[in-house]
Amino acid sequence: MQHIRNFSIIAHIDHGKSTLADRLIHFCGGLSDREMEAQVLDSMDIERERGITIKAQTAALQYKAKDGKVYNLNLIDTPGHVDFSYEVSRSLAACEGALLVVDASQGVEAQTVANCYTALDQNVEVIPVLNKIDLPAANPENARQEIEDVIGVDAGDAILCSAKTGIGIEEVLEAVVAKVPAPRGNPDSQLKALIIDSWFDNYVGVVMLVRVVDGVLKPKDRILLMSNGAQYPCEQVGVFTPKSVSRDQLSAGEVGFIIAGIKELEAAKVGDTVTLAAKPAASPLPGFKEIKPQVFAGLYPVESSEYDQLRDSLEKLRLNDASLQFEPEVSQALGFGFRCGFLGLLHMDIVQERLEREFDMDLITTAPTVIYEVVLNNGEVITVSNPSRLPDQGKYQEIREPIITATIFLPQDYVGPVITLCNQKRGAQVDMRYHGRQVQLIYDMPMNEVVMDFFDKLKSVSRGYASLDYEFKEYRTADLVKLDLMVGGEKVDALSVIVHRVNAAFRGRELSAKLRGLIPRQMFDVAIQAAIGSNIIARETIKALRKNVLAKCYGGDITRKKKLLEKQKEGKKRMKQVGNVEIPQEAFLAVLRTDEGK
Amino acid sequence: MSDRRIIALTPAPTAVTARTDPIDTPRLSASPPLSLYVHFPWCVRKCPYCDFNSHTSRSGDGSLPEEAWLDAVITDVESALPQVWGRRVLSIFIGGGTPSLMSAATLDRLLVALRMRLQLDPMAEITLEANPGTFESDRFRDYRAAGINRLSIGIQSFDDAKLQRLGRIHDSTEARRAIDIAQQHFERVNLDLMYALPEQTLEGALTDLDTALATGVSHLSCYHLTLEPNTPFAHTPPPLPDDDLSADMQDAIEARLADAGFRHYETSAFARPGQECRHNLNYWAFGDYLGVGPGAHGKLSSHDGIVREMRHKHPGRYLEGAAKGDFIQERRDVGAAELPFEFMMNALRLTDGVPHTLFAERTGLPLASIEAQLIDARKRGLLDTANGTLRPTEQGRRFLNDLLQVFLRD
Repeated sequence: MQHIRNFSIIAHIDHGKSTLADRLIHFCGGLSDREMEAQVLDSMDIERERGITIKAQTAALQYKAKDGKVYNLNLIDTPGHVDFSYEVSRSLAACEGALLVVDASQGVEAQTVANCYTALDQNVEVIPVLNKIDLPAANPENARQEIEDVIGVDAGDAILCSAKTGIGIEEVLEAVVAKVPAPRGNPDSQLKALIIDSWFDNYVGVVMLVRVVDGVLKPKDRILLMSNGAQYPCEQVGVFTPKSVSRDQLSAGEVGFIIAGIKELEAAKVGDTVTLAAKPAASPLPGFKEIKPQVFAGLYPVESSEYDQLRDSLEKLRLNDASLQFEPEVSQALGFGFRCGFLGLLHMDIVQERLEREFDMDLITTAPTVIYEVVLNNGEVITVSNPSRLPDQGKYQEIREPIITATIFLPQDYVGPVITLCNQKRGAQVDMRYHGRQVQLIYDMPMNEVVMDFFDKLKSVSRGYASLDYEFKEYRTADLVKLDLMVGGEKVDALSVIVHRVNAAFRGRELSAKLRGLIPRQMFDVAIQAAIGSNIIARETIKALRKNVLAKCYGGDITRKKKLLEKQKEGKKRMKQVGNVEIPQEAFLAVLRTDEGK
Repeated sequence: MSDRRIIALTPAPTAVTARTDPIDTPRLSASPPLSLYVHFPWCVRKCPYCDFNSHTSRSGDGSLPEEAWLDAVITDVESALPQVWGRRVLSIFIGGGTPSLMSAATLDRLLVALRMRLQLDPMAEITLEANPGTFESDRFRDYRAAGINRLSIGIQSFDDAKLQRLGRIHDSTEARRAIDIAQQHFERVNLDLMYALPEQTLEGALTDLDTALATGVSHLSCYHLTLEPNTPFAHTPPPLPDDDLSADMQDAIEARLADAGFRHYETSAFARPGQECRHNLNYWAFGDYLGVGPGAHGKLSSHDGIVREMRHKHPGRYLEGAAKGDFIQERRDVGAAELPFEFMMNALRLTDGVPHTLFAERTGLPLASIEAQLIDARKRGLLDTANGTLRPTEQGRRFLNDLLQVFLRD
């Protein structure tokens, strides 16, 4: 056990975490040059394209250190985005050390700070590494200073490296050996293994990636999952090098996988403790949480005939993503679809993108919404994650909305506009600190404002330099109202949103004006109204089309005109009928896309 | 021409067979009236808005293969004779292209040849499309002498700037002169006008109309300029009046023509009483027409169904095929499923519509077969079926596309 080092890498998107991981694996001979595909650990296409790690993965490396001994280094990759902070915390809980990788040309970013704090909270040894020192814009001194100012970690002996060119890789590995404590744990005590990650494999079922804290696990042992009491026969254990390799056993201090014939991913929850059914541990490892979706949206197939295909696709995605929730939903305007729950906006984006790319689905996604608590007149508290399900005014006493604490890092040049934006989004400043040229803003903000369009706007006012991290704080009573949009007097359920009363009029005008531009003129005037209850707060009119005639009809040749009419009719078929108004799919798509810039 | 065989003009009795088979091949109880369309495919220059089958001369001196075209068209008619055997031809329309580029002598020989081979009604309307250029209008008298009795002149506008914008090769002075000459020789003259032209104002559109009305012609066709696919205008659209302005133009044009005693009898056609274009009326009433010449379309009914055909489109290809009697580029039977739409697409362009009975007469299908569509169209306020007619309502005329789509097969 003295020769085991479990560590992970904390880094902001693009700061080179995956490249560094690949370098380390390569250096230790985990993969041959031929197998060395760029960024091995990020195995999903989307991960590789976006440069972010969605699922934690791992690699067990053999490193012969300068002291002449061979060490087992377990690199545990962590997800790098706000939506996956729980997964990050579980990955870090499995480690004794973490490399804090900071781009020497850019400095510290919000997620890095958040993850680094998580690591420090768990007594994980943090080793600062300044990456990309080969870049002309690299400013290691500045980055070092920022690490000390912002995170409060001594960065005096931060390692300078370039994952791209290979500079400093050996130093990194030496530091891991020297600074990361060897795991402590008792192989003779009852088995306690932390589930770091789990995923579904088509051939063997659920694979659990675990860190064994105490005890030993062998195939044929009967395991017990402590959160739900379920038992399974252990079929196989092993490690990833990063290729999977079977072992006779996994013992205290090691990181590896368990295959136990589990069929549903929900059974193997990240953060749960695995023990032996015959000799169970007295108490589970701390920190387990049921993760719950925070952001909800309706997903509808553009072609209503693709409903079944959408359900199958969502089911397949859930095999590998236990945090994705969905249930059938019917919208008058959009037909049959699913209300889906996501960990956050990025998670929603990823699911949407995978559905479109891997399953070839055309989707309409309704505006994302958060979970509101509604106190009914009889005192009962219900949760509402779909605006159209909000009880009528007068049937409830109050609505409470989730508040988050947002941490924003940005260069000081953009402080003005970002503060203005936060205030627009009903944020309350908690703290503001200058760290050299970087500013750290902390705001309490309603989460519904954040899911609406905050992230896009933050990016645009800061020209992409601001970074955001957030965590749930509490539910607070707020003066919220449901804003309905009506087309031709009919409520379009898919377009209802819950907004703060202060913003209702503006949002109502904005949405109606947008919709006016998107619905084609019809045979009659069409009124577009935004309403709170029975109160109309904005109105636009789409003037009736005056005619729809093909003027010249060359008597002989009817084929072309026929084709034109057929095309026109085909276009109408793809429209959604609300009352007697035909609304094109694109109108929904465009209205629901909240970033006005586009 | 001398060696061309002469075909007897005695009509054979029209075959009317009792109906014995199911409705997929519609059987007609009587042959519909028959018209002839002749296509002359060449223009001096192709206009940027035009999507018709027109071509500019490829020979260096600008001369056209008139002789070859005439011979081919005559052979074309001859080869089609079995399809129209014994049927009287009620109208001829010679369109293009620019058929007025044809010499009067060629036209004369064409009409003589047609008369010899077809049973032409003595009162047949024979229309020629003409361009208002000086070169053409000098021939109008000879055209009349050859037997043309109706002239349709592509004026488009009397505004020189607009004409230039439309790529027309004539100017307003030539236009006025052409109309003048035409009226000296023809009682029946149509002017084609276009509105909603690039940067046109409402006043501009009405000035064009007033100028046209002042000439005293008895028929006007007023077309909304539309951008057709695969034309230079569609590729690089000129700044056109918006939907509202062009609708205002249409309203104003219709009102002024009504005041002037013109009946708006078809979507884009206006005539003094009795001066409607009989050839076009036959199209709108889902009559039959034989189409000869490059790219001409035909629709012919017989005892075993309705056929649509198109002649080889490219002039070169058409002339080449003529020697071997190869004229047809496409021919297809119009199935029962398509007939209701095709019938309505024509019939409902007429302001007065058509009698109920015409549907069964021309399609061979019972009107009951489209009961559901008729009810739908009526409910939407687009169709009037009262008094034994099928007639678009005022709303149905403005939204004819929506009305016709009711009859499109899903």
